[in-house]
Amino acid sequence: MTSYLQLTGISKAYGDVTALSKVDLSVEKGEFVTFLGPSGSGKTTTLMIIAGFEKATTGDVLIGGHSISAMAPHERNIGIVFQNYGLFPHKTAIENVYFPLQMRDMNRANGLKKAADMLGLVGLMGLGDRYPKELSGGQQQRVALARALVFEPSLLLLDEPLGALDKNLREQMQIEIKRIQRALGVTTIFVTHDQTEAMSMSDRIVVFDAGRIQQVATPLDIYHKPEARFVAGFIGESNLIEAVVVDPDKRTASSAALGEVEFAPTEKAMQGRPVTLMIRPEHMRLSRNPIEGRRNARMTIETIVNYGDNALVIGNVGGKHGSMPMRVRVLGADVVILKEGDECSVSWMPEAVYLIAS
Amino acid sequence: MNRFLIILGIIAVVFVAAPLVIVIPMSFSNARSLQFPPPGYGWGYYEAYFTDMRWLRPTYNSLIIAAGTTVLTMILVVPATFALVRHRFAGKSIADIMLLMPLAVPHIVMAVGYYSFFGAFGLVQTHLGVILAHTCLSVPIAFLVLSANLKGFDRTLERAAQSLGASPWRTFIHITLPILKPGLIISALFAFVQSFDETVVAIFISGRNAATLPRKMFDSIRQEADPVIAVVSTLLFVLVLIGIVAPPLWAAIRARIKAPSALSTIEKRP
Repeated sequence: MTSYLQLTGISKAYGDVTALSKVDLSVEKGEFVTFLGPSGSGKTTTLMIIAGFEKATTGDVLIGGHSISAMAPHERNIGIVFQNYGLFPHKTAIENVYFPLQMRDMNRANGLKKAADMLGLVGLMGLGDRYPKELSGGQQQRVALARALVFEPSLLLLDEPLGALDKNLREQMQIEIKRIQRALGVTTIFVTHDQTEAMSMSDRIVVFDAGRIQQVATPLDIYHKPEARFVAGFIGESNLIEAVVVDPDKRTASSAALGEVEFAPTEKAMQGRPVTLMIRPEHMRLSRNPIEGRRNARMTIETIVNYGDNALVIGNVGGKHGSMPMRVRVLGADVVILKEGDECSVSWMPEAVYLIAS
Repeated sequence: MNRFLIILGIIAVVFVAAPLVIVIPMSFSNARSLQFPPPGYGWGYYEAYFTDMRWLRPTYNSLIIAAGTTVLTMILVVPATFALVRHRFAGKSIADIMLLMPLAVPHIVMAVGYYSFFGAFGLVQTHLGVILAHTCLSVPIAFLVLSANLKGFDRTLERAAQSLGASPWRTFIHITLPILKPGLIISALFAFVQSFDETVVAIFISGRNAATLPRKMFDSIRQEADPVIAVVSTLLFVLVLIGIVAPPLWAAIRARIKAPSALSTIEKRP
């Protein structure tokens, strides 16, 4: 059983510069997959190769088992929402949505009716006669979405479509896009560098860095079980501790700043192997004195970043062999008793220490 | 300070506009030669202009030559602009410079060149000769206007069109061309006006057969100071004024009377 969309061994080189190397990916029909990574990580290049605007140096793109690599962009039947929407300024909203149907030589009356229905689905009933410049950013976004969906594309590509919107509108559009995507069941690839967007919207996340796929997993697995140091650092806040495995059976590793650290059960621990240990800030606790039953370390508070409902306390932990910054998530109600410069105890459970082979 | 600036502004405007304004009353003059203020007024010289083939012929020549120049210029400039703005190729910067050269070389130098060069081909004193020469002068101007427009063109729109199923050719017809239309019109207008106004090259190569209006005006003022010149000037001035005022006026009118389109009736159906 083959997957709906398959990328096999995609590479892209610009002269001597490798933009993508050996990208393999399978996406199931109806799935919402997010490409997440910093700029220049290869996520947009991959999207453009799927769309046909870039040619892969090696590898193949298949939809439903058939290669589309030799097709021109206009033959691929793939809907795209661009970062700046790409609405045609000389056409009204409904003419924009009608355009793909016009290109498919659909009868004008039927096409306009279908375009109007699609505008209704994205919540723009009655605004069809407006030109793009007469619409707000969020409305333009919806027109672009309607236009990319009206011709029932085999794939929907969203290229950082929410980047230009303010925070509230962005959250609203995240929910809208998910609703519409579910309603139509269209297989979707969403490109973003915003990790919260990726976490909240995706069935699966593909993390890109330096032209390679670092990990493909569900949002929860990406967060809790990162397979690469980059993934742990890029998604969410994390404390990453360089260590060397001392005893795989007792699950101990030694680090310069914290001495011997016990980690959660894993199959990746081999004696003498250099690893990265990850502890999420919300798995740590601050207290005046060490807490029994937990692993404790002394910490000097350096910075408190207050978010209202919670705060991030950044302190310094260390002994004679070295020190490292440590980030601890504290509930907003508890942060009032903390001051920068305070000495306190930071503690965690060994189960919260996740080992990443590096 | 403020009042001083206003007065300065008024002086500047008067200084710039005065020659234009003086020409208008002179065109209604009944004096035998150019004279200001006119001793009396009448329509005499307008009648003279519209009945005298010595004036109508050059007017006609100018229109034909300017129209031909515009068409030829656009045929050359549109593909050249797309190539030079969008693609990189060997010799591009040389092509760029060659295209803009006529802007830097004095017209009189070009005129002398054309006179001897076209003479060898029998193109002197022909409409075609003047059209070819004027095209060389119009190309850089039209190119500058159009390339500025094309550089500002968002290519995402073309990608969007292609992703929506438009072939490259249909993308050009449905998206690129309509969006660039204002730029193309202005570019063509500049080519037309440049040819219609051009005097130096016209004096050298238009001869008697293809004499343009500016050439005729120049000859006339040198020989007889015929007040018909004032008439022609006034007419040209009014034409340009209409050319400047009409487009925004037309846009305003169209926006006012924009009838509800067929689209809205479909969309508002329950």
